[in-house]
Amino acid sequence: MTTLSTPSAPATPAPGAGPLVPGAALGSVAIGLLRRREVQLLVAIVGLFALCTALHPQFGVTSNIAFILADSVTIMIVATGQTIVVLGRGIDLSVSPVLGIAVIAIGFPAQDNNLNIWLALLLALIIGAGLGMGNGFLVSVVGIPPIIATLATLTIYGGWQFIICGGESVVSVPATYSNFGNANLLPVVPWLLVIGVGAVAAAYLFLTRTVTGRSIYAVGSNADAAFRAGIPVRRILFTTYVICGFLAGLAGFIYLCQIGSGTSTSGSDSNTNLMSIAAALIGGTTLLGGRGGPVGSALGAVFLSEALQAMISFRINELWDPAGVGVLILIAVVADRKGAPVRQLLRQPFRQPARAVQ
Amino acid sequence: MSLSVTSPAARRAPARTAGRQETIWVATVAVLLVAVLAYFCLAVPDFRQLGASGVLALCEGFLFTGLIALGEALVIFTGEIDISTGAMSSLSGIVMAALWQQGLNIWLAVVVALVISALGGAINGLFVTRFGIASLLVTLGTQFIFGSIATAVGGNSPPYNFPKSFVDFAGTGSVGPVPDQLVGFAVIAAIVWVVVARTRYGRGLVLIGYNRAASRYSGVNVQRTLFSAFVASGLLAGAAGIFVSGYYNAARDDIGDSLLLPAITVVVLGGVDIFGGKGRVSGVIIATFLLGFLFQGMLIEGNSSLTATMVGGIVLVLCLILKIALDRRAGVHLRDVLKRRFGVAQQSPAVSDA
Repeated sequence: MTTLSTPSAPATPAPGAGPLVPGAALGSVAIGLLRRREVQLLVAIVGLFALCTALHPQFGVTSNIAFILADSVTIMIVATGQTIVVLGRGIDLSVSPVLGIAVIAIGFPAQDNNLNIWLALLLALIIGAGLGMGNGFLVSVVGIPPIIATLATLTIYGGWQFIICGGESVVSVPATYSNFGNANLLPVVPWLLVIGVGAVAAAYLFLTRTVTGRSIYAVGSNADAAFRAGIPVRRILFTTYVICGFLAGLAGFIYLCQIGSGTSTSGSDSNTNLMSIAAALIGGTTLLGGRGGPVGSALGAVFLSEALQAMISFRINELWDPAGVGVLILIAVVADRKGAPVRQLLRQPFRQPARAVQ
Repeated sequence: MSLSVTSPAARRAPARTAGRQETIWVATVAVLLVAVLAYFCLAVPDFRQLGASGVLALCEGFLFTGLIALGEALVIFTGEIDISTGAMSSLSGIVMAALWQQGLNIWLAVVVALVISALGGAINGLFVTRFGIASLLVTLGTQFIFGSIATAVGGNSPPYNFPKSFVDFAGTGSVGPVPDQLVGFAVIAAIVWVVVARTRYGRGLVLIGYNRAASRYSGVNVQRTLFSAFVASGLLAGAAGIFVSGYYNAARDDIGDSLLLPAITVVVLGGVDIFGGKGRVSGVIIATFLLGFLFQGMLIEGNSSLTATMVGGIVLVLCLILKIALDRRAGVHLRDVLKRRFGVAQQSPAVSDA
């Protein structure tokens, strides 16, 4: 069968035939909305916020909200890039050193020569896209499976970051950078968040409104069918990695503005790889490709940031942070399974999955 | 008949050809290993001066990676992946050390740690088999959880300075010139090799990765086999954690984090197809030594460990390019691999043969 499986839009509402009764229509719209991961996440974000504020009034102060939002921006941007790669049925494990190299490459000139901030941004984007091209080359031209190709570049870029540093580290940046990193547009809206949301919106429009963007969904759903439908599969895959690197570079710029320092392990030490994948998964993007979108991933990043902050306010030791992320991932992927209630699954020992039976 | 579920690629490339490909690859890796050793012996005086026993002793620095790789290979054979193994190693080492600190006999503590590792693997296996969730996601989640538990159990100052009998066995002791670790690795590797290459179970394991539907039709209990692969992976990662703790004579909650990527590199370098269904345990064993000696040699040469890791990555890419080129020459096209992986099994043979 070579039918082109229609790539599902980032969040297609349940295709319900519009009932005639207005009340029922409203109900089905509400249910349709609740089926969307973005809406579920929004409810979860608001609910968790309400819960934490009720128990700890300190949680609701504007400075804390601003912190949660600002804290999520780096991961939000990296996760957006990661989402685009994952939609094409790939994965990019090298985002953390790409981010790290961008931080270092602009951090040293900024520290030593007071590099212009806009020039730094441009440089970070170019570096990110360039490193992304490396991944794209290995995956789409050479034909190495994405997980292995980016695993290799993870070590290669990581080593390169170390070599560039040469034992030094960026300890301070000019005031223009840190001021930009701390500036707020509104009391709870940091400027950095504006950039983050802008990147997510751009990615959303790209994925839903352009031929290339739609093609990414098609390639992720069924590469063979996409190829037969005349989509240049390799070029599309290449593009996804370049975009992912580009956004990781942007995240590096934001990281430098926010943190104000950089070392040979920046990016890797904050677990950027796994956090970006976690945000994408929690946001409803499946690693099988073709389903999901950047809006969910962005909300996933905010939710992660909020949940970690909530754990602090509940006095849960910081060492359980990773476990919290892990549990959220498992909840997200279990919730992602359609049909088959959990109870029924537990009752049947070693059930053969339906997909194995063709 | 079962022919209808065999993928077209399988019929075009009979088992013997595929086997020959694998043999060629294992031989290539072996040649590379010899080349690496020769290079270091000729070019690095410090390496040469170690002598045979010194070089053997270097094995202690990387055999635990090999143990993780063996378990990882079992999972990758089935087409799944386990990225919780690094955290599992940390957890196992920490549990062993903490129990010993509480006054438990060290060997008993080792057994408990191994049981817990197997249980952790079982949790992964349960999620994969019963909930049908992709293993990458499951183990991504449990990786975080195991790591956190290790940090919690370890506390601020994880135990160190284990009894001498334990350190000698798991860490730095030796039988004549042969390190104990090498003996342990050889035994475990031999068991894994026999199980995969010579038993019905092992055949099933690899067949699951090659074609899950076909393996079901030929009577393999897919779910149970998958489950056991994850348990074995957890257990071997746990064993690696014990060895690595013995080697450093200390347990640390992040000791295994740096072992995961080298272990996966070893598996792929050893010629195991990342999509499952192809590869040999012998390749993994040889690749353990190839990557290990490369790494240790570079350290002796005076490079930093990150540089050595980077070279490992470059070697991986070059080997894969070589492997893909070899596969293409033998007529196994990437498209077939992708098709097999991405479930275009329902495609009619007429179309794919065109």
